[in-house]
Amino acid sequence: MWAAAGIRSVEDMITAEGLTKRYGAKTAVDHIDFTVQPGQVTGFLGPNGAGKSTTMRMIVGLDRPSDGRVTVNGGRYAQHRAPLHEVGALLDAKAMHTGRSAYNHLLAMAATHGIDARRVHEVIELTGLGSVAGKRVGGFSLGMGQRLGIAAAMLGDPATLILDEPVNGLDPEGVLWVRQFVRQLAAEGRTVFLSSHLMSEMAQTADHLIVLGRGQIVADAPIADIIAGGTRSRVRVRTPHSSQLADLLARPDVTIMRSEAGVLEITGIEASGIGDLAAEHRLAIHELTPQIASLEEAYMALTADAVEYRTEAIR
Amino acid sequence: MTTITPTTSHSAQRLPARTTSLSFGGVLRSEWIKLRSLRSTVWSYLILVVLALGMALVMSLSYLSGGTDAAGLSKEAQADLIVQGSTFGAYIGQLVVAVLGVLVITGEYSTGMIRSTLGAVPTRLPALAAKAVALFAVTFVVGAVSTVGAFFVTSAVFSDTGVTANLLDPDVILPLLGAGLYLALVALFALGVGTILRSSAGGIATVVGVLLVLPLVLQMIPAEWVQDVLPYVLPNAGYSLFADTSAAADAVPFWENLLIVLGWVGASVAGAAMLLVKRDA
Repeated sequence: MWAAAGIRSVEDMITAEGLTKRYGAKTAVDHIDFTVQPGQVTGFLGPNGAGKSTTMRMIVGLDRPSDGRVTVNGGRYAQHRAPLHEVGALLDAKAMHTGRSAYNHLLAMAATHGIDARRVHEVIELTGLGSVAGKRVGGFSLGMGQRLGIAAAMLGDPATLILDEPVNGLDPEGVLWVRQFVRQLAAEGRTVFLSSHLMSEMAQTADHLIVLGRGQIVADAPIADIIAGGTRSRVRVRTPHSSQLADLLARPDVTIMRSEAGVLEITGIEASGIGDLAAEHRLAIHELTPQIASLEEAYMALTADAVEYRTEAIR
Repeated sequence: MTTITPTTSHSAQRLPARTTSLSFGGVLRSEWIKLRSLRSTVWSYLILVVLALGMALVMSLSYLSGGTDAAGLSKEAQADLIVQGSTFGAYIGQLVVAVLGVLVITGEYSTGMIRSTLGAVPTRLPALAAKAVALFAVTFVVGAVSTVGAFFVTSAVFSDTGVTANLLDPDVILPLLGAGLYLALVALFALGVGTILRSSAGGIATVVGVLLVLPLVLQMIPAEWVQDVLPYVLPNAGYSLFADTSAAADAVPFWENLLIVLGWVGASVAGAAMLLVKRDA
């Protein structure tokens, strides 16, 4: 819940201050502060209903904040002279008329900013839509819709990109394509703000994470820190003396689980400590493996409260 | 299939000069592209033209088969007869442009396109204004061209009987253009209602209700004040933009009728503008 430390420049970044959205009695986004830095991919994680999409919609002015403010590249999105040049947004793969061709959709979007047809052809090539550009959007798969949404976001060659679930509906090749694409955008110095519910995907794409739970920021840190700090490390031990070892390890702060015969999953004590203890009591050990916490586990630990809250709310 | 070709992209030379910006002219061009790139729009306008020509043909033929001696009519009556035949399509055509006007905006809400539209034009009002201008201009042009076309159809049917009218006679050209104007204003009214309701079914039902049901229902209510209200109902005032009602005892001048229609359109579009800015997209 700390603000991201780092160089603060007014240019090319997203800044939220006390940003809040209420729908009647329900608070979807609750006074959040964060900064999305340029030159890196910032992942936006959280369970369904945590307020990710609402936050992104407020950034581009589709939803009006109930309180607080959010600025992009130094000003409110609607105040910019050329919004599409400031921010490219993919908020919904279906934000297009199903009866219009992909080319005409992009042409109409481009026309608002006086962007010429040459750029339309460029973004079509960029997103690999060349063969279907003349076809009506209604017949597009979700993946093609995502590509078209990304093409529209790229029309203004914006310094900041906001992508809500861009890999949703994509095949593995498309997922890889988006990953390389956003990495390159960040390498070019752009600000990339990306939400996804696929933790594994986020682990491979994002540099920094903002985790949202129940409308509040649960974590805002470099991805490596979140993975390291999110869960206590776990050690897997394979030994023919599993019950003896378990007895020796029994302490209030140590959790022991038997995953299969002769295998213990131990939390709360380092691998070295277990090895020393076993050696002391002359117990043979066949395997002693520290388990690296995954982002998925770290995420689950961080958002556990929010998820439990939601389950109760449903009941 | 598609891989990112690593272009020579370094922070130093990254973004090209971005010289273009958001402008009303651009938004208007965008709305024109949107209007012409949907099959449903193109079809609606084609139907409007076919209706105008077809109804003119049917009307004038049925008049002739009635056996009335048309040649004995005065010059004014001849012009009036031809204008009546030429503008008859507008009574049905108004339903076509009503549906079109609603769908122009509710189609964006139902498909999600509205989020792209308002994302590109975050101040929102220019998007609605450009939509209104494009819809009005295209509907007026297509409507006027179709009634002028219908004039030639009607004139051709009547040519054997000696009934003629000069297109450039103000008593002829003004009602023909008036029909186009009425259709364009109905489209605007429908656009406003569609924006307020954000639902295709609700919007179409409401506009058709105002155009067809409201005057009928009011007519059936015997109360005197209801009869006083009748001339202020949208279609009743609107029809006098092209149909000669000066014979009626309580005739309202052309300009007053135009003002009444503009009042309906203004209320609808102003309500739409207010809600568009206020609501979350």
